[in-house]
Amino acid sequence: MKTRMTIAGLALAALLAAPFAAEAATVRLTIKGGKFIPAEPHAPANEPLTIVVKNLDSAASEFESKTLRVEKVVPPGGEVTMQIRPLNPGRYHFFDDFHQETTEGDLVVE
Amino acid sequence: MFRRCSVLALALLAPLAARADDGKPDRYYELETKYLFGFTAGTDIGGEGEREFEMETTGAYQARKGRYSATEQEFEFEQVPSQYWGYELSLHSLSQQISGVPGMTNLSQTTFSGLSWTPKWLIVGRGPGNPVGLSLSIQPEWDRIDGTSGAHATNYSFETRLAADTELIANMLYGAVNLVYTPEYTRLATDPGWTHQSTFGATSALAYRITPKVTLGGEVEYYRAYDGLGFNTFNGAAVFAGPTLHIQFAPKIFASAAWSTEVAGHAAGENYKLDLTNFQRQRVNIRFGYEF
Repeated sequence: MKTRMTIAGLALAALLAAPFAAEAATVRLTIKGGKFIPAEPHAPANEPLTIVVKNLDSAASEFESKTLRVEKVVPPGGEVTMQIRPLNPGRYHFFDDFHQETTEGDLVVE
Repeated sequence: MFRRCSVLALALLAPLAARADDGKPDRYYELETKYLFGFTAGTDIGGEGEREFEMETTGAYQARKGRYSATEQEFEFEQVPSQYWGYELSLHSLSQQISGVPGMTNLSQTTFSGLSWTPKWLIVGRGPGNPVGLSLSIQPEWDRIDGTSGAHATNYSFETRLAADTELIANMLYGAVNLVYTPEYTRLATDPGWTHQSTFGATSALAYRITPKVTLGGEVEYYRAYDGLGFNTFNGAAVFAGPTLHIQFAPKIFASAAWSTEVAGHAAGENYKLDLTNFQRQRVNIRFGYEF
């Protein structure tokens, strides 16, 4: 009985740890001159993803995406990191919420 | 009168329909559906890290006889701690004016009425590969005033809402359906015994962006009221219909409004064409939100 419970416990722990065990792919973005560089980054589908945004401009930005379901302020000269759930293939629009009309891009997941 | 109101509404909306500051036409950016459909909820929860303050006014007006109005004001704080769920904390106040309504005591009062917490889980997030979103929310609420009669009471309710929505035309035309089940436990101050009630509802809504910032729509709601938690004794049913409006003034500021009228219904044991015993004739919802 005790052995069974131990095995069940280990199986549960492995299941819970699985999403975090895989090394997350990383997408690095830079905000410079009011633009995202690159404006169309690529990332693998169905894997956890890390997005790192560095702001080289003198004004604060807010990285936001409705479909990625994140928003985070990036201070001038600062850098932020966001963990994203595994994504379906497709295009995920993102933008700077403080400068939505000029600073935007699409994450291409494939 | 209607013409005057239409002209006034168009005059108010015109600046929002125009152009961005740089003279270029506004674009149809992605829009969150959460408050797009009036009394019907959209599935979006917002982005991880989002915080918002909202003021929500919900009114129920007009009984069969006499004068009846109940206006609830909520002050809400919303937060999205993860990409899978968000929550809302609300402080409620209630303003009621009742006179000459059969079965109710005349009163005029405005008072703090209760508290609620509403976690909402995104079961399926709309996006690439998932054209239909699905969410579940539960709203445990404590009230010290009976929301209908205004009597002092202890009331616990647990509104449970399953919502689904989709974009019928990307970033332009949206549709949503909700199923709602609300069990309630009530003890009036004058009566030591607890009573149990429940309401079941099914709602549907469409919303169309007439400009990038202004969305107009309509919804139809159907509710059934029961004594008992498990649909034990049928008390009445009502169908409501009405228009909805959502305005995204700026990326972090929005307002929404909905007005619905009972267009059909019947109460158990009555022969009237509407159920104005368990429901009111007019319902209004106005919400203003500021994200920070």
